[in-house]
Amino acid sequence: MLGNYLIGLREGLEAALVVAILIAYLVKSDRRHLLPAVWAGIGVAVALSLGFGALLTFGPQGLTFQAQELIGGSLSIIAVCFVTYMVFWMARTARGMSGELRHQLDRAAEGGKASVVVLAMLAVGREGLETALFIWAASRAAAGVSGESTLVPLGGALLGILTAVVLGWLFYRGTVRLNLAVFFRWTGAFLVLVAAGVLSYGVHDLQEAGVLPGLNTLAFDFSDTVAPGTVLATVVKGILNLAPSMTVLEVATWVLYAVPVMVIFLRATRPSGPPHRAPTGQAPATRPT
Amino acid sequence: MRRVLPTVLVGALAITVAGCQSNSPEESTESGEAGGPLSVVSTDDQCEVSTTEAPSGRIAFSVKNEGSQVTEFYLLGDDGLRIIGEVENIGPGLTRDLVLQAAPGDYFTACKPGMVGEGIRAAFTVSDSGADLVAGEDAELVEQANVQYGSYVKDQTEQLLTETQEFAELYTAGDDDAARALYPEARVHWERIETVAEAFGDLDPRMDLREADLEPDQEWTGWHAIEKDLWPPVDGSYEAKTDEERTALADQLVADTQELYDRTRDQDYTADQIGNGAKGLLDEVATGKVTGEEEYWSHTDLWDFQANVDGARVGWEGLRPLLQQKDPELDAEVETRFEELQALLDEQRDGEGFVLYTDLSTEEVKALSDAVNALSEPLSQVTAAVLS
Repeated sequence: MLGNYLIGLREGLEAALVVAILIAYLVKSDRRHLLPAVWAGIGVAVALSLGFGALLTFGPQGLTFQAQELIGGSLSIIAVCFVTYMVFWMARTARGMSGELRHQLDRAAEGGKASVVVLAMLAVGREGLETALFIWAASRAAAGVSGESTLVPLGGALLGILTAVVLGWLFYRGTVRLNLAVFFRWTGAFLVLVAAGVLSYGVHDLQEAGVLPGLNTLAFDFSDTVAPGTVLATVVKGILNLAPSMTVLEVATWVLYAVPVMVIFLRATRPSGPPHRAPTGQAPATRPT
Repeated sequence: MRRVLPTVLVGALAITVAGCQSNSPEESTESGEAGGPLSVVSTDDQCEVSTTEAPSGRIAFSVKNEGSQVTEFYLLGDDGLRIIGEVENIGPGLTRDLVLQAAPGDYFTACKPGMVGEGIRAAFTVSDSGADLVAGEDAELVEQANVQYGSYVKDQTEQLLTETQEFAELYTAGDDDAARALYPEARVHWERIETVAEAFGDLDPRMDLREADLEPDQEWTGWHAIEKDLWPPVDGSYEAKTDEERTALADQLVADTQELYDRTRDQDYTADQIGNGAKGLLDEVATGKVTGEEEYWSHTDLWDFQANVDGARVGWEGLRPLLQQKDPELDAEVETRFEELQALLDEQRDGEGFVLYTDLSTEEVKALSDAVNALSEPLSQVTAAVLS
């Protein structure tokens, strides 16, 4: 039960948090009219993933292992581009806001409906195929295709995904009450870390597929101390895509992305002049991490 | 931005279509294929695979997790590092399938309960079913040959290094009998990849120079210098090496082998290098082993002979998927000639090894020599056929 629950949680967590930030951002920057686009993107991603998963599980054709890894790896890299774009899009908007130029907002951020749809789609669809295959396997177990019928794995997996969604919603509730400047700085920095993790995980996928070398050259290995199956390892991997053991190439990719992007981002959002106070309540005591 | 969306979708779709293969492990789609999938049961401390052997081509594993932890299942290459296929996220109570294409060869299966460590491994053999692998792009097949040949070279240099170190220890310790016994065994790994080793112009003369090929004033080191010291000529013309000289020779050989090992870690091989290498190994046989010149003092030429043939065979086997598409007749001829030559060699086996070269009659040498030439001829056409 717990094992399947944690897989569901891990696969859903990152997507839920990115979507939560996206929605919080749209709400805070008065673009509620784009919210349907977010839900549409999520819907398309879920439908596509489940459809493909069903096709690959029950249909006459399967995917080769290399193709699966290639899809996962490529989508990760595309997702990083979009999340990076989103971070700076938010940063630009933040500057526009502190300059009291609210009416220029929509022009300043040229990202329209399409990019919001794609962003939501990628956030959810990146691990969607693997998750869908996993869910279908659990469904087959529930249907008793291979032996006893058991609902436990499917229940566990769905509960895990549900938990991820609830955590995303709580995260949204927490961040949406923050004042603007704080919101942008924290969520943006957090997204940079997420993107770095997604990128290095994509590299790991490509290493497994044999496209990139160095799969067995480990930078560190804490898996004796923190086993990958534990709750802690699951949550860290789910949010930041960091694993207890990582290859040198993964770590190098992470650092090469995270450091420069983080520096650029923090500079771009440095509070300049008198900080603008948004007419929202105080920042809650708990800070998102 | 607006143009990105369709691009992403089309790209994903293209990959999906290109990466498709027949599914449904329960059904057999080709006549040459065995029935249902192989079943794997993974528990917290066991990994039961229903069989340790499967015919080449499409192989399906149906992996059931009966343990309490999340598990993963891998099929690894013969180096235990390369991933041929994997399926992750097999939660407790779940069954997930891994479907892949595998060429004949040695593999490992591995379950990883708890997703950690080396996994519970077992050897797995893929026999040659004669079924062609799914015809992909030529470039893909060349890459496959390169990967296979590269891991073979790596594996042989690893074994060469350990056995050379062992041999050097015996030789410097003065345990001549044991050193003489290990000498042909260790050299097998060198001879199997001789054409690769010879590509390093600085190492080869230091390691494998025969006395007959010495230049004036050239220092004689390597395997054959040690060989002569272990099997000195009986006429008393030879001055045995002192302990210091032995140590110097042995250390040099181990250092050079280490260098060879380091340089072959991540080498790439093109189709023509592999094809010509196979042919080159046969030429080695014709010019050195069949004449008894290679192991002039120890007379263990047949070990080297067999090893050259092994190496040539591996090179050809790597190119087979490509060759069978381009020129199936040539491939069939090479196969026949390999079998004939191997049959002759097998007649000269003696326990773990072979008879000495000096025990061969003139007729036997002639027969071996003819078989080598008969194989050399079609083998020399392989490279051209593959690249056509």
